[in-house]
Amino acid sequence: MPTLQPDKIISKNLSEKNGSDYESIKSLPVPPLQGAAWKWSCGLLMAYVIYGAFFIANGAVGFGKTGNPARIVFFHVPSAILSSVCYVIGTIYAVSYLWKSPKAEIDIRSSIAMELGFVFCILATVTGSIFAGAQWGSFWNWDPREISIVIMLLLYASYLVLRGAITDDWEKRARLCAVYAIVALIPAQFLIWVVPRIPAVASLHPTNVLVKPSGTSMSYKEVLYPAFIAFTMLYIWMTQLRIRAWNLTQSSISRKARA
Amino acid sequence: MIQSQVSVIFNAVSHRYGGREVFTGVNASVQSGQTAVVSGSNGSGKSTLLKIAAGLLSAKSGDVDIHIDGRLCNQMERRRDIGYLSPDLSLYGELTAAENLQFFANMQGIHLTKIDLTHTLTKVGLQGRGRDLVRAYSSGMRQRLKYAYALLGNPRILLLDEPTANLDTAGVELVENIVAEHTRRADGCLTILATNEPREMNWGDQHIVLKAAE
Amino acid sequence: MGRPAHRIESRRVIEAKELEIAPKTHNFFSHGILAEAVSLLKKDLLAEIRTRVAICAVGVFAFSALLLIGLATASLKDTQTISTLSGISRPAWDATSKMSLLWVLLCFAAFAGLAHTFVHEEEAGTVLALRMNAAPESIYFGKFAFNMILLSGVAVCVTPVYVLLTQMPTGSIGLFVLLMGSGCFGLAGTATIIGAIAAKAGGSGALFGAIGLPLLVVFLMLLMNASSTLFTVDAAPVRCVRDIGGLLSYGILIAAVSVLTFKFVWED
Repeated sequence: MPTLQPDKIISKNLSEKNGSDYESIKSLPVPPLQGAAWKWSCGLLMAYVIYGAFFIANGAVGFGKTGNPARIVFFHVPSAILSSVCYVIGTIYAVSYLWKSPKAEIDIRSSIAMELGFVFCILATVTGSIFAGAQWGSFWNWDPREISIVIMLLLYASYLVLRGAITDDWEKRARLCAVYAIVALIPAQFLIWVVPRIPAVASLHPTNVLVKPSGTSMSYKEVLYPAFIAFTMLYIWMTQLRIRAWNLTQSSISRKARA
Repeated sequence: MIQSQVSVIFNAVSHRYGGREVFTGVNASVQSGQTAVVSGSNGSGKSTLLKIAAGLLSAKSGDVDIHIDGRLCNQMERRRDIGYLSPDLSLYGELTAAENLQFFANMQGIHLTKIDLTHTLTKVGLQGRGRDLVRAYSSGMRQRLKYAYALLGNPRILLLDEPTANLDTAGVELVENIVAEHTRRADGCLTILATNEPREMNWGDQHIVLKAAE
Repeated sequence: MGRPAHRIESRRVIEAKELEIAPKTHNFFSHGILAEAVSLLKKDLLAEIRTRVAICAVGVFAFSALLLIGLATASLKDTQTISTLSGISRPAWDATSKMSLLWVLLCFAAFAGLAHTFVHEEEAGTVLALRMNAAPESIYFGKFAFNMILLSGVAVCVTPVYVLLTQMPTGSIGLFVLLMGSGCFGLAGTATIIGAIAAKAGGSGALFGAIGLPLLVVFLMLLMNASSTLFTVDAAPVRCVRDIGGLLSYGILIAAVSVLTFKFVWED
């Protein structure tokens, strides 16, 4: 007989080591609001932001004749910030999938963050381009920030391309996508920390306006800060919606498999 | 009860591809001096079970413990003590047989002299063909070369998936000798075969039958 | 149990490997990773010399692209200027533009053939034997070294022709070589990990390019920045160190992250 103790076998982990395909994901429990409260409060706040963008904030000096193009800041800046935050969230899930808990849930959360990041990235690119057209006279100027947002867009797109390309085994897909997300974090980080500091490419974008005390007027702060909160709430609500949609697809697949 | 020098223990091993169960709850224990035969219909997961034992694939639940001289080996360590052969495994077609063996010996940190090489090739019946490119080999010759590869470094455990695929009568006899000789080695060795051939099933003194899950 | 009728005379041909009781640790400096990586590199080079698949793919691509670029830019003169947004006018076809075009060419050439080393292992079914016999880190280092050698070889052949064709100045020759070397390092590092991912994903060249090239945009920007320093007469040494160092650190970061994550790509 081998050198193993009987109690060792009993203590063997007979339960699931890895997450199953058909496990449902719990919706994010995000205090203090639960369920539909998110949807309603997010909607109200967003309505305030849209109203405020046009009626509370004044036109800013130096932005065209009327100062109206400056109003894009309430939509452009939050989505641009969210698009890079989403990438970081997706990568944190990727790291935790590889080194901590290889569960389907973590992988799906990572992919949801990436999908939403892609959406916000498109929003930021489009709003930015419209603003550039109105303000600088051309929809595309090869400004460093414009380049970095379009590279972010490409990185998101290729992550999703890779996800779409692997169909045979969800664990393989999860592993490869997680590795890709981590590797692609390097160019994404270079974009944020190194590229804007390259002297050869001077940016048209204002730097540090939002952090400087004198950077924005009071009427802007009244709308911009709620805008950040509204977009964050929008992101959380969309994540919950996406998880619900995923759970529904999974249950319909397993129902079909059982039939 | 004697202490077994080498043992392979399957603890409730289950595997699935996507949502399809391949097998569930395989329990078995193979000891030194034993030959186990894994059999089952096509698609019942014979190859998958061997891959899990070799540490090339991790089981979805349960695991395969390999003890060598009383020490539990992890996934990376066990590969050095396992000779694995399977239809899915090929050697480099663009290298000669001798270069292939030399390469894998280097990877394992074994010094392989010219005389060793000649002996190894002679043992599997490929004498004089060491300088030919493996690409130019017939499928039977490739199978013989795979035996030379699997026996490199005298592993304690042999995992043979379809051991006699593509082999002629002399080849089958050769494999029978290799298996018998390996299992009876003094330092305690064992063999696990995955096959459905009645003749090969006779070689085993333990049988693991896999049933395809519904 | 069937016993063999007559046993073939056989002797133990290989000295039994000493049984290791202590777990064998993979250490880069002792036998282990370095030795395995070197044998893998030797094997790959030998196979490449015999079949010449990767070198043909990369080399022929690079030279055809060179010809196309030469033709397309033949009418461009160094004297033509464009004005930038900030109102400064600069030469349209200056040394930095020439250098970036050379690197666009090399990036595409790399993505034409550098996945081959992994795709071939995967397709030929040799990947199982390799996985049984080596640590993932050794595989990464071996393949990375192979890609690096291949890419440097192509760069060494293509660059002089390109310099002649476009009359690109080289600046300080030492810095030029350093810049090309750092560039090859970063490009080979990126192509190796992405090649492994693409090979595992079962995709062919199309996927390799689609997921790899976006990673190179930032790399190309760093390269352009470094080459504008290279071509600046009397650039301050601090600037050279910062810009070429930035380029090199990109490659080192990619390689470091690849080593950490490669086992998840390589193992099933």
